[in-house]
Formats: sequence, C-alpha cells, structure tokens
Amino acid sequence: MQVPDDAVKITDDTVTISLKNASVVDQFRFPGGAGNSLGIAGVPATLSFDITYSKSGDARHVKPTTTDPLSPFNWAGEMWEATNSGTFSLSYNDGTFSAEGSFDSAGNFGEMGFERNGSFVEDDRNFGEHNRSSVEDELAAKLPATLAATHLARPSPSGPKFRGKIPISELIH
Amino acid sequence: MPSWQKWFFGAAFLALACVPAWGQGTPAPPSPIPIPGGDVIPQLFNVFSPGVGAFLDGQDAEPNIITNFKGRVAMGYTLGRAADNKGSQYAVITDIRVYRGDYVGGVSTYVGGGSTSAKSHSTFVLI
Repeated sequence: MQVPDDAVKITDDTVTISLKNASVVDQFRFPGGAGNSLGIAGVPATLSFDITYSKSGDARHVKPTTTDPLSPFNWAGEMWEATNSGTFSLSYNDGTFSAEGSFDSAGNFGEMGFERNGSFVEDDRNFGEHNRSSVEDELAAKLPATLAATHLARPSPSGPKFRGKIPISELIH
Repeated sequence: MPSWQKWFFGAAFLALACVPAWGQGTPAPPSPIPIPGGDVIPQLFNVFSPGVGAFLDGQDAEPNIITNFKGRVAMGYTLGRAADNKGSQYAVITDIRVYRGDYVGGVSTYVGGGSTSAKSHSTFVLI
C-alpha cells in the first residue's frame, strides 16, 4: 500500500515505519479468499504498527546475473543485512476482534539498502559504467582494455546516443 | 460554410474539449507496476522471498514487488507473539517491506483501460 512519506523515517543506519489505522483485510489463511484468490473474502480491519530496521555489517553489491524479466536476479543494488523489531495492534472494523503484539527478526533474514530494477537496470545496461552487470564485467575482462572501454564506457554527453536496446551478443564476433 | 463560421465552431470545439481536463483536478499518481516474476504458491504471486533456506529464493533474490523502481528498500522476516481481546495467545510471523524511491508506473489515459507510463516518487509498505 502507498503510505504518506512522513510515515517512514530514514537515516543512514535505520528505517522506521510508524503507520496508524491502515485499512487491511484479515484473510485467515494464505493464499486467502475463495478459490485461492486473494482479496475476495476476509474481514475489514485497521492495523497500526511501528517497526525499526537497523543495518549491520558491510554492504554487498548486487548485480544482475540475468536479463530474464521473470528472474529474481535481474536487479542491482547495494544492500546490508538488517535486524528489525516492532509492535502492532489490529482491530476488526465491526469490533468483534482485536489483538496486539510484538515481534523481532530473531536471527531471520532481513536486509536494507538501495536497489534498481526494471527500466532502471536496463538503463545501467545500455549506458551505465558504474553499475555494469556481471555479464558486462566478464566481457570487459576478456576484451583488450581499449576495446572494452569503447564498448562499455558511459557515453559522453555530446556523443551519439543509441536508441532502443542492442543485445551485447551483437557486439561479439 | 463561411470561413468565420468554421473558425467559430473550431474555437468552440477546442474550448469544450478543455472542460473535462479542467474538471479532473490533481491527477492521480501513477500506479506502481508489479514485478513480472514471483513465487508460485500454488499460483503466481508477484513477490520473491529473499534469504537462504527452505522455501527462500536466495540471498540476492529480488526484495521488491514494484518494477521500474530505484530507491531504498528494507525488509525482514520476524517472529513474535500476540494476544487478543479474549486473552488468547498467538504466534506471529511477519514479512513487512518498505520501498521509497522513484518509479515508472502506469497512468490510466485512454477509455477502455489504456494507459501510459509516468515517473513518480513515493513510499510503499508491503504488509
């Protein structure tokens, strides 16, 4: 769900969410709803919670290892491991049920950082020097330095700008 | 039709064509577009599960559910406890994610569901 910007506070090391009375639907099971379709059945409710994510350790640099749009590995970013903890309260709109509790990451996976995906990763592939994919890094290692620079460097502002996408395989003969 | 009439009707048509645009007020922000991939449990959900272990997709799996996105991301799995208004106790498992950044989404543009792309900036929470 889209939330107001002031519901999330971000510093260098933490992300804090404080959301009040968000409208949700309690769906009892996952996948929920009739016929395994989310959003069909459930009880309207409001949810409030506070969570703080805290990063730790060193950043890891994630590079896209594929161009398959369906793959989970087609994005780029700089991520840190993160722990988080929070509290929540929930009540049905009809007043028949309410609950409150707390949680923490307790050693489970969490992360925070910066990421680019979709068209922003495509931009990296087509024009980026700073965030080349691993495929392009591999190509750069195989080509002579001057040739690699010609093919992979970011074009100068006054240089020609290619339109559309050029499969990198077309550059290798 | 005399030429002055053509100009008159032309101007009137253009003026009327502008009325719906004035009446729309502030345009809605572009709708974020889901990532095309995702886990199948048992049907496709446009979300991956980053992390190492059973039923997880790997440490470097896509944490976002929005495509064409550039910005900050935070996510994590948690365990906890809760109590309801009748004193019953529950175990709590959460996967809550936050996204703040630029994205290229879709704007409803044409009658019949046609849309165009538009860039925006916003904050989203996946509960």
